Amino acid sequence: MAAPAPEFLRFTTHKSLTYRLVLSTLTGRPVHISQIRSSSPTNPGLAPHEISFLRLLDSITNGSVMQISYTGTTLTYIPGLITGSVSMGGSDMVKCVLPETCRRGVSWFLLLLCILAPFSKAPINVRFEGEGVITSATETGDVSVDTVRTAILPLYEAFGIMASKLELRVLQRSCAGTGGKGGGGVVELRFGSQVRLPKTLHMNRSPGRVKRIRGVAYSTGVSASNNARMIHAARGVLNPLVPDIHVASQYDQAPLVGDKSSSSGKKRTGVGFGLSLIAECSSEGVIYSADVPAPSQGGVTPEEVGKRCAYQLLEMVSQGGCITRVGAPTVLTLMAMGSEDVGRVRLGKDVVGSEDIIRLGRDMKKFGASSWGLRDAEDDGSGDIIVSVKGAGVGNVGRKIA
Amino acid sequence: MAPTLGKRKREGADISKKTRKASSEGPESAALNAQEIFRRHFETQFKPLPVIHKSTKIVDVAPEDDLEEESDWGGISEGEEDRVQVVEHTDTHSRIAAMSKEELKAFMSSKPPKPTTEPSLLRGNPDTNEDDDPSEAANLKKDLALQRLLAESHLLEPSKNPTLSGNNRHKATDLRLQALGSKTSILKQEKMPMSHRRGIIAKQTEKEDKRRREARENGIILEKAKMKKSSEGKRDRGVGAPGVGKFSGGTLKLSKKDIFEIEGPKRSSSGRGGRGAGRGRGKRGR
Repeated sequence: MAAPAPEFLRFTTHKSLTYRLVLSTLTGRPVHISQIRSSSPTNPGLAPHEISFLRLLDSITNGSVMQISYTGTTLTYIPGLITGSVSMGGSDMVKCVLPETCRRGVSWFLLLLCILAPFSKAPINVRFEGEGVITSATETGDVSVDTVRTAILPLYEAFGIMASKLELRVLQRSCAGTGGKGGGGVVELRFGSQVRLPKTLHMNRSPGRVKRIRGVAYSTGVSASNNARMIHAARGVLNPLVPDIHVASQYDQAPLVGDKSSSSGKKRTGVGFGLSLIAECSSEGVIYSADVPAPSQGGVTPEEVGKRCAYQLLEMVSQGGCITRVGAPTVLTLMAMGSEDVGRVRLGKDVVGSEDIIRLGRDMKKFGASSWGLRDAEDDGSGDIIVSVKGAGVGNVGRKIA
Repeated sequence: MAPTLGKRKREGADISKKTRKASSEGPESAALNAQEIFRRHFETQFKPLPVIHKSTKIVDVAPEDDLEEESDWGGISEGEEDRVQVVEHTDTHSRIAAMSKEELKAFMSSKPPKPTTEPSLLRGNPDTNEDDDPSEAANLKKDLALQRLLAESHLLEPSKNPTLSGNNRHKATDLRLQALGSKTSILKQEKMPMSHRRGIIAKQTEKEDKRRREARENGIILEKAKMKKSSEGKRDRGVGAPGVGKFSGGTLKLSKKDIFEIEGPKRSSSGRGGRGAGRGRGKRGR
């Protein structure tokens, strides 16, 4: 039986391009995206990190077809099955090499990959390497890998995905290189827990109070005393509020990458430092996170970074809700793709009102998921919003066979 | 940039001054420093402390002077002066100064951190079980030995040497492991030629059959024969496999039962027919 001609869902612009691709892969509906940065005279079309993501998508799926127009402003994507890392002799690691021009942190890839991973047929093991892997937070708004590991991956536990089978190994740390481009880090993600249908979530209770603050201060290729200075400044802000604060410090050498211009043929890149903080609440599973890196051009003291990170954490806490802006797309997508059941999640008003989340909701509707129900949380004067999401029962793509 | 720079400088200077002050004049500075911690310990010295710091012994100052010097001390009421004043100071900041090694390891490992790890205090609470004496431990040991003897005495009975050695020792180990929840016996041989295994199983069933037959002939009622366990109701079909039917040779075979389950109970044919026709029309229209 010949498959019916696919009906393309049509989108425009580069905004939330990758979330659309992820939704397309999960629901199995082909998409056609046009006008990708078509108005930009200098950099029209897909950006390097988007191309890298397409390559990654290609390597973990089977049978996906993507066509990019000559200028790169139009993309057609017909999704395949998410097969994960199929062992092809030797290692089962999928290698994802990011180019030097990549400006996004590796967490940008990780967040999307982690949404796809539970629906894969086989475990997903991906190793990010190359001259574009930035493990720290970036100025483009990506969080650090530490935040992904300590604040985002624990969210999966609530969906029936065993957190013990998830692993995010940072083999080489790296901050953003000169001009915010490139790094040289090495990160391995092992997502060994696949489910048929993720359970839905009921997080409509109050987030409670912050009971402890944890964090990681990282210095790569700069003096390790920066860690202590960042931690000191952050604690100066947070100590009067929470007594239980631990921040681990992590010092690494800067990664060596090949460079033809220098005499030795190698150079060190990705020098910098930054701080990642998470606040765990008394209510289970509620984690707020904050991330501030030192800008790649420098000129900011560690004290400033530490203080800013502490203030950012306080801002996240003040936004309220059970999920932060970083984790909300993940949670909402998993709920929408999960079992056909209504799940509720409590989000802060600023989180729901952010552009990304609203666009995600609209996209989901377009992809055939049911729309969200919003209502105010009445139990206190927090002004939070309870979002009810009905699962589409899409679940694991392996189901499409039967 | 300039104002922040200035501020930073001042702050740094302040800190350095403070530390210098602390190192030179100790007791005057409001900040928590080593001297003051010792002082606090000294104040609590009247209460019998489980851990006695040597440094507190060295300091020998009259307690009244000491309390008066203390800036944040509320003062002593006159009536209570003859009684022992107990001051308890718990400083959370100094108690939880850094992550313990295990916690740091758990937090910085490649796995996502567990949400339920309790904060471990840097200074563990002083030994609470000081009162248990060596005789208690000895008693416990003897208890355990007795329990084991009772549990394993049947092993010793038929054998020639009544010691737990050789074969008996292995059997005893196996018993203990099973008591602890081991699923399989360590004495069970895992790998052997198929013919041996078949022979062993055949012998076992034959023995059991014989026992049952003889019991039946003699009119003895035995325990119910254990039914051979058929496979579990829901077998794990794997993530990619179809959820229904039997997949073999590239075809998905559906039994009558499967088909009935999919279709559900039959309804009146008119309703179904109508809907089917409706769908057909819709297609043609397109």
